[in-house]
Amino acid sequence: MEYTIQSQPSYSVLEVTLDENDSIAAEAGAMTWMSDNIRMSTSTRGGALTGLRRSVLGGESFFQNTYHTEGGQGQLGLAPGQPGDIVAYDMQGDNLYLEKSAYLASGQNVRIDSKFEGLRGLFNEGLFILRASGRGKLFFNSYGDIQEIEVDGSYIVDNSHAVAWEPTLEYRITRGRKIRSFLFSDQLLLRFTGQGKLWVQSRNPQALASWVYPFRSMASKSGEGE
Amino acid sequence: MASYTISQKGSYGSVLVELAPAEGFISEAGAMFRASANIDIDVTTRSRGSGGLMSGVKRLLAGESFFFSTYRSIDGRRGEIGLAPTLAGEVAVIECSGTNRWLCAGGSYLGSTEGLRLDTQFQGLRGVFSGESLSFMAVEGQGDLLVSAFGSIREIEVDGELTVDTGHVVAFEESLDYTLGRAGGSWIQSMLASEGVVLNFSGHGRLYVQSHNPDEFGSSLGGLMPPRES
Repeated sequence: MEYTIQSQPSYSVLEVTLDENDSIAAEAGAMTWMSDNIRMSTSTRGGALTGLRRSVLGGESFFQNTYHTEGGQGQLGLAPGQPGDIVAYDMQGDNLYLEKSAYLASGQNVRIDSKFEGLRGLFNEGLFILRASGRGKLFFNSYGDIQEIEVDGSYIVDNSHAVAWEPTLEYRITRGRKIRSFLFSDQLLLRFTGQGKLWVQSRNPQALASWVYPFRSMASKSGEGE
Repeated sequence: MASYTISQKGSYGSVLVELAPAEGFISEAGAMFRASANIDIDVTTRSRGSGGLMSGVKRLLAGESFFFSTYRSIDGRRGEIGLAPTLAGEVAVIECSGTNRWLCAGGSYLGSTEGLRLDTQFQGLRGVFSGESLSFMAVEGQGDLLVSAFGSIREIEVDGELTVDTGHVVAFEESLDYTLGRAGGSWIQSMLASEGVVLNFSGHGRLYVQSHNPDEFGSSLGGLMPPRES
């Protein structure tokens, strides 16, 4: 499998060339174009239970689409739902953790599952995150550009900006030294500890949604016509 | 002294601020998205010497955040914080020499060194009638001011006169005189042309403009969404 990532970092798209019998799995809805010898199959990849956990718990789709070629090489373009950056990561048998919605595509020997985050997840983006495991290429994406941080010791990241991290890093929810910064700022911070790579995105989709919200028109008070 | 690395690839500019030991930095609450672990983060309604609670209320009325966040490295070593705005666009560092005040559009303020005094300045009733929020953050003193633009940012050295749509003003030096005006000859003509209120600048000074108008973008998206209840 060969690939290029185009239009980084604002409108990144992944263009993949598959050899005969090669395949790539991708998030449902990511395919933008494909050559006519590419066949798509939809499955839960890893069984119904994995699919269910991935969708209900991990916030990704229940089904993953797998693309393979029939006769010779084939090409396809994959794009995430949000304008932003794409990172290609080499899975070498270890895990990689991803925030929900960060998954874009993966080679055939990479498995995507969900991981229970417990109480810290409740305060964070959700109770579950995604866990990638196996060997091969993994592609993940962001809203905004992606910055790679080499953590050695500890590092602090806003929870809405964390994208992915290596399993050698542990995280917990943290706050400023003073209690009032916990109460009054609408920010939740994560403190990553250990040694490994961490990827953050430079924009926050939740903040954009909150920014747009006041521009909605007011509903009429009388409730007529409803 | 703080030093800045601006990441300006494509549409999503952000700033990585490196702080000297014990040096403080201020940003709009929530603008920080990454920080080294030796940074202490606090939330306050005031910047140095100005305001207290009332300045927070004033900022709320101006449509800005009630709180500022302050950052300081606490272990005697250098620290870093990454700051990014909400909207897509570029960021810039303005060095304030202290000779003139700077006026910064509320939505364009990203952060500042702690030596700078910040205050909200309303532009009077005319601002209210224009339908566009017209309040500026007055920035006084010597230090660095970080601003963000919606879209690309452009610095203009004004010498003479220049007219700028209020929705595109990022920040300007107060050595410039400015009056509120209309783009057309009359209010009606301005309304028909959808060119609302403009600022007429004259004199000599620096000015930063943004390529896109956040209010227009917000209105176009807001119109596509179901009405809100309150």
